[in-house]
Amino acid sequence: MKRILPFLIILVVLGAALASAYYLTRSAPGTTTRVTQTPPSPSSSAATNAQQRPVALKGVPGAEPPHTLGPANAPVQLEEFGDFQCPPCGMFHPILKQMHEEFGDKLRITFREFPLVPAHRHAVAAASSAEAAGLQGKFWQMHALLYEHQADWKDKMDVGPIFEGYARQIGLDIERWKKDVTSEQVAQRIFLDGRRGHSMGVAGTPTVFINGREVPFESLIAEKLRVVIQNELAASGSR
Amino acid sequence: MKLPLKLYVTAALVSLIGLADAIYLTVEHVTGQSVRCTIVAGCSEVLSSQYAVVAGVPLAAIGAAAYFSVFSLATLAAFGYRVAGTLLTPLVLLMFLVSLWLIYLQAFVIHAFCQFCLLSAAVTAALTVITLFARRATRLS
Repeated sequence: MKRILPFLIILVVLGAALASAYYLTRSAPGTTTRVTQTPPSPSSSAATNAQQRPVALKGVPGAEPPHTLGPANAPVQLEEFGDFQCPPCGMFHPILKQMHEEFGDKLRITFREFPLVPAHRHAVAAASSAEAAGLQGKFWQMHALLYEHQADWKDKMDVGPIFEGYARQIGLDIERWKKDVTSEQVAQRIFLDGRRGHSMGVAGTPTVFINGREVPFESLIAEKLRVVIQNELAASGSR
Repeated sequence: MKLPLKLYVTAALVSLIGLADAIYLTVEHVTGQSVRCTIVAGCSEVLSSQYAVVAGVPLAAIGAAAYFSVFSLATLAAFGYRVAGTLLTPLVLLMFLVSLWLIYLQAFVIHAFCQFCLLSAAVTAALTVITLFARRATRLS
């Protein structure tokens, strides 16, 4: 017995390790919404879809009006909670841009502020800069600059002059933008978006919902996200 | 219980902490949760870096395999398999060197620390000390 006991112990630990890995993988957030490689046919019944897919989340309202791209009545409503200093959000930015170009009027993209404090020390400043640009109708231009030049500012001590440079670049009224960055209105917008995120269970960024259902993080690459959007279009009969 | 035996049992138990940590990181990596940013700084930067994957395999999975090997060898050594004790030392030393390299990467290349990676480094450091003592105690006995 003593000869086989160490091997038994090793086997038990191996079994426990594999079982815990399996359990953790199954219970990981966002893994409930699976991406099917073949989009369902439009004839699939709504009842079947309702049974397979998790319930769409509504959450409390965020900042109004939200920052959107695409028509309000688009069949696919994509909502992203993002942080301008978060590297994966920066990597997701061109993917979302690509989806916007590919799906056009069938996709509506909404961006919600979710600055991660204290992990990212410039996240609130970046969110405020974008929101202040939004008050002059140039949110998406600032949004693009912040993400596309994230590497230029995320490790800097003082980001003020850099963000001001972006504001000049997109032709903002600088004095007004500077005032708005520290305004109660901008702070309130960021707070409301964050509150909405928390009400929908957002704990990190980027977190993306499509028609109210969270998209698993591993599906936030162009090939998989495209399939998720196609599935939603097929389900709505708009494909 | 003799000293080498005690030390190998301790090494086996400590390696379980590393195994649990590495399994958690592997699952986070595979499910994509680890590369999402959270309010805890560091892990997303570290685990989404190019250094988190070696030849297509998550480094955390390699770590889990290494910790499981340490557990197996330490258990066998505790049951008197001398070869296991001999193999354990170079394995743990290699893991220690890899840990030092990973800490260097976090500090000077990625400029972010992941607390779970630091826990793994601490476990490996503890295993190195225990294993070297166990080896010495085995020789003396």
